Amino acid sequence: MGLLTVIKKVKAKEKEIRLLMVGLDNAGKTTIVKKLCGEDVSKTSPTLGFEIKTLAHNGYKLNIWDVGGQTTLRSYWRNYYEQTEGLIWVIDSTDVRRLKDCKEELHKLLVEERLAGATLLIFANKQDISGAQSSKELLKALELDKMGERHWKIVSCSGITGDGVRKGLNWVVEDIAARIYMFNS
Amino acid sequence: MHTPEEVLAFKKPTEGFSCSLSDNKYKIEFLEFEIKDYDTSKSVFKVSRDDAPDLSALSLEASKGGVSLEDLARTVRYNLPKEFLKFKTVRTMLKFCVGPLEVPSFRMIERHYYKGELLRNYDFTFGFCIPNSTNTWEAVYDMPVNSKERINDMVGSPDEHVSDSFYFVEDKLVMHNKAYFKYV
Repeated sequence: MGLLTVIKKVKAKEKEIRLLMVGLDNAGKTTIVKKLCGEDVSKTSPTLGFEIKTLAHNGYKLNIWDVGGQTTLRSYWRNYYEQTEGLIWVIDSTDVRRLKDCKEELHKLLVEERLAGATLLIFANKQDISGAQSSKELLKALELDKMGERHWKIVSCSGITGDGVRKGLNWVVEDIAARIYMFNS
Repeated sequence: MHTPEEVLAFKKPTEGFSCSLSDNKYKIEFLEFEIKDYDTSKSVFKVSRDDAPDLSALSLEASKGGVSLEDLARTVRYNLPKEFLKFKTVRTMLKFCVGPLEVPSFRMIERHYYKGELLRNYDFTFGFCIPNSTNTWEAVYDMPVNSKERINDMVGSPDEHVSDSFYFVEDKLVMHNKAYFKYV
C-alpha cells in the first residue's frame, strides 16, 4: 500500500507501456517493429536517431522506442533508459563475427541501474537465414548465466517472415502488465 | 514566452505566434508528415520538405496576402477528404531532424479547436534527441465518432478547424506552428 499503490493506479488508468528496442546496427530492430505494425518490410534503411511507434496491443498502449545501433549512436542509448519497463535486445543470429561486441553491449545495459527493473526480451532474429545460430548457441555465447531476479526470455524470430515476433511481444507485455498492473484486474 | 502548463490551459487558438523562428536554436526541422486511415492504410495526406514551395514563391504569396513571410512559413493548410471524418482509427507519421546540438527533452503539445472550442489535445514527450539525428514518430489514434450533421457542418465550414502546435525543449517554447483544416 501507500505510494506504490498510488503510482500503480495512476499508471493503470492510462495503461501505457514503454519498450526500448536496442541492439547492434543491422540486427533488424526496425524490421521487427514494422512487421509488428503490419507494414511492408521489404525496404528498411539504417535508423539515424529514433523511431517511435505508438500502438494498441491487447488493451495496452505501447510506446516502442527503436533507437539506432550504429557505434556512434550507442553512447546515446542511456538517454532512453528512464521509465523503460521493457527492454528488447535484438540479435542478428547470423552475425557470428560480432557476437562478442553484441555480448559486451548487452552486458553494459544489464548493469544499468535505471534498467534494473525492466523485463528483458532477447530476439534471436534472422532465423529464416541459413547459418543462423540457435537461441541455445546464442545464450551460451552471450554468457547470460548471472541474471539474478530479472524477468527475461529469449525468443527465436524472423522480422522478415514474422515468425516469433508476435510471440515475443506478447510475452514481454504480459510480463510487464503482471508486474505493473497487478491491482487493475 | 508560454510554458507547457499555460498552453494546456488555452481555450481558443492564439492570436499570432507565441515565439519567433529564431527561437528554434536546436534547428529542429520537419521533413515529412503523413496521415493514413489505420484500417485500410490509405494515405489521405502526405507532405515532405522536398515538395514545399521555395522561398521566392512564399515571398510572393506573403506580399499578396499582407502577412509576414515568417508567419506564412509556419502555417499549414490541410485539404483532407471528408471521409477522414468517418475514420475510426488514424495513423500519423512525423519525421524530423535536429541540428548539431543535443536536444535534452523535446515535447509537443498540439491543440485542435473547432469554431473556437477545444476538440482534442495531443501531448507527447519525445525526450532526448541525438545531435544531427533524423527521427520518426508514428502514432495511432482512435477518432471521435462524428454525426452526419457534424460532418456536414465541418465540410461547410472551411478553416474553422484550427490547430496550434507548440514544441518545447526543457519546457521552453522553441517552435509554434498553426494549421487550418478544410474537408472536401
